Amino acid sequence: MPFDWLNDFHRGMEKADNYADKTLAAYKLGIKARGAICGVSVCVPANCCGAAKQLPEGVVYQPDEAPRLPLAGCPLGRRCPCVYRPVMTYAEVQE
Amino acid sequence: MKSMLGVLARIPLFQLYRRFGWPRMLPINITLSPSPRCNSRCLTCNIWMKRENELTLDEWDKVLRSLGKAPYWFTVSGGEPFMYQGVVELCQMAYQYCRPGIINIPTNSILSTIPDKVRRIAESCPESRLIINLSLDGIGEKHDRIRGVPGNFKKFEERLKQLLELRDGLPNLTLGIHSVVSTFSVGHLDEIMEYADQSGVDQFITEIAEPRVELDTVGLPITPDKKSYTKAINKLIDHVNNRPYKGISKVTEAFRIQYYKLVKRILDEEKQVIPCYAGWASSHIYADGTVWPCCVRADQLGNLRDHNYDFGAIWFGEKIKEVRRSIAAKECHCPLANASYTNLLHDLPTLARVGTKVLLPVLGGRPTAPKAPAKEPEAAHV
Repeated sequence: MPFDWLNDFHRGMEKADNYADKTLAAYKLGIKARGAICGVSVCVPANCCGAAKQLPEGVVYQPDEAPRLPLAGCPLGRRCPCVYRPVMTYAEVQE
Repeated sequence: MKSMLGVLARIPLFQLYRRFGWPRMLPINITLSPSPRCNSRCLTCNIWMKRENELTLDEWDKVLRSLGKAPYWFTVSGGEPFMYQGVVELCQMAYQYCRPGIINIPTNSILSTIPDKVRRIAESCPESRLIINLSLDGIGEKHDRIRGVPGNFKKFEERLKQLLELRDGLPNLTLGIHSVVSTFSVGHLDEIMEYADQSGVDQFITEIAEPRVELDTVGLPITPDKKSYTKAINKLIDHVNNRPYKGISKVTEAFRIQYYKLVKRILDEEKQVIPCYAGWASSHIYADGTVWPCCVRADQLGNLRDHNYDFGAIWFGEKIKEVRRSIAAKECHCPLANASYTNLLHDLPTLARVGTKVLLPVLGGRPTAPKAPAKEPEAAHV
């Protein structure tokens, strides 16, 4: 995919204190307002913590049910490289 | 209008600033996003889901005052800029303190209040060129599907007609059609091009859909593949090349062709093809007062609320140094149009190509004769 560097770059950004609250609230609103978003996934990179490695792969969560990032006990704290990604209806069709 | 010569005079200074950190300069190109709220539901953008603790007009007043006369080009972005209740006042403040040469506002054309707000901005900012770009991603239902709003195309046409009428009485108003070339629209770009040609607008511009942190589109499959984009954009380049532009339009269209070629190279080479001046000559102020070098990376350089609304305190601060190092080291690359046009202006080979294209027929070189009759466009602006 073009501009893959941005994926890594975004994962490396320090998270705001309210990262999970704010991101999941936005997705919840997006689904409620019938946008093209249908759920949220957790993007887990290779250098994530043990707890993140335990997350099941390929799961699409509803915003209220998504694990909160950074995961409890993540040693990297706000530098946690896991990120939420919106899951779009068109992306699901393409897959 | 504020002179473009002042911008050209600052080019070598920005080149020095980027290379040696001196002389310290405020940006000439600033995007203001007063609110992420939007009444579109585009497939290529998720900003409309966001809610922010937005800067008030009083806070914007202090921010814009701190910029002084440095900015030449403001883009008022969103969300949908005309959903922001204070959009007229925001532009008036930018005009009062900064006297920009250009105020550029994209719009989805949905709100019926748009023409009145455009008129008020144009009338109260007479020495600035006001550019209103109406978004168009397809004709008829194709547009509605991509924008996620049934009936959007009908409203686009209503607003277009109203704004064209308005333009007749407002000499500083330029109208454009802006199209995002995405995986959803790349197949019908020629239809949009044909429509724009007949529409009566002053300019037709396109931008490739790229992932941005700002829009929460990182990792989404919205960017067309290199082959499809090249095929579509080559038609557009031919189209622009075959039109008989005159005066300033000739220069802006020459830059536009350079931008389209740059995008092709960036897609092909996947690197920063020419030096990026985001973080030096261009910047972005987000709704909550956060300053970014650009909306693609959206590095949080600082929040204006924490710096007494003084833009310079962030721009000349410590945190931006690492971001500038990263950009200069080409750790990023993107075809963001707003930054790219500023970058092209600072790239000497590009300036030489544009100069050659503009001057060659004048100096007796091969004329760029039109292959098909075309309406003479009015002065267009990048």
